Amino acid sequence: MKSSASGGDDHRQPLNRDVVVINKQGIHARPAALFVKTATRFESEIGVKKEGEVVNGKSIIGLLMLAAGQGTKLTLSANGRDADKALTELAKLFDDKFNED
Amino acid sequence: MESKSSAVKAITAEEFYTAHGRQLGLKLEAGAAGLRRKIREATVNRPGLALAGFFRYFAWARVQVLGSAEKAYLKSLSSDERRRRIQEFFKRRVPCVIFSRNILPSREFMEEADAFHIPLFRSPLLTGRLINSATLMLDMDFAPKKTEHGTMVDILGIGVLIKGESGVGKSECALALLERGYSLVSDDVTRVYVLDGRDLMATSPEETRYLMEVRGLGLIDVCRVFGVGAIRSEKRVDLVVTLQDAQKMENIERVGMDEEFQEILGIAVPHVGIPVSPGRDLARLVEVAALDQKLKTMGYNTAKEFNDRLIERMRSEAKG
Repeated sequence: MKSSASGGDDHRQPLNRDVVVINKQGIHARPAALFVKTATRFESEIGVKKEGEVVNGKSIIGLLMLAAGQGTKLTLSANGRDADKALTELAKLFDDKFNED
Repeated sequence: MESKSSAVKAITAEEFYTAHGRQLGLKLEAGAAGLRRKIREATVNRPGLALAGFFRYFAWARVQVLGSAEKAYLKSLSSDERRRRIQEFFKRRVPCVIFSRNILPSREFMEEADAFHIPLFRSPLLTGRLINSATLMLDMDFAPKKTEHGTMVDILGIGVLIKGESGVGKSECALALLERGYSLVSDDVTRVYVLDGRDLMATSPEETRYLMEVRGLGLIDVCRVFGVGAIRSEKRVDLVVTLQDAQKMENIERVGMDEEFQEILGIAVPHVGIPVSPGRDLARLVEVAALDQKLKTMGYNTAKEFNDRLIERMRSEAKG
């Protein structure tokens, strides 16, 4: 699931994690807002990738543009000192179905 | 800041006379000793039936308005009978009596008003007009009202009450809105009251009307600086905007799908909180918030409409 983090203090190598959208309505406004709210708590750059298209994980409009419905596979990426923690929390949102359903 | 609210239970005939005497053209003809009498209902009554001797369901607590019909009826009676009817009427302790159309009350009416201490007024207005105006005025006198710490502006017909802690930039924001051609209702201290039990209306205290205090500049007379087009005496509150220090805000709205309300005097008014941080053009944000509110009142919620379309699209893609 996770690519290896580069060692030491140099975290220029982003971490990735694959997630699947399992909540029924997909990433609509509310989940997107929850994702962005969580993502902005971390200083790492967050990216969300769907079929080759990457958007900024701290941008609601970006996330909405992906139109990631139920069953969509996404790859989250994080680059920064708190990347690992960010990915853990963000991935948990997907597992928790964004508190929906 | 005073922010007690109170629904008025009663006003005295004197308060009514002082507040509206000029507009209604009231002249006190008799019964001055009874000016402390209390009006307890926010409307008027035509006492025709009462004068005819029918006192069941007599709305004695209201302002009693007499017009040509009552005058003609009383005139049809003998002097003694007339006096007796007037006495019966006054025994019910009505708060005050107004004759419309400048009708001069009969001698009996004047004497009994003095005897019973019931204020007797005369107004030049036609009966219908008098009733309408007096009812509106009473409605306002009795309306729940309070003072809000906030600046009230009118943005393209949308009344926006800008709230926030002192020094957060309410007045500067209003100033920038005035420069864009919108108008000011009141700065910093806004009086609100409920009209018709439905609309929350805002106006400014008489003393500080159209005055603005801007840090570093002092008091500004908006009417003189920006012209009469920049002021408005009264406006319905359609939106409450709270300017908040971005650092202290816990929950910053990012989508705007959940409409939030703030209750003022029992009326739920749409509310948005705008985070303030250096370099944000607050006036612009408040302006857009007002326009977006206009869309919502027209039945269009941008966030919701977009989201419904998005969910529909994702659903059909998932199927296909």
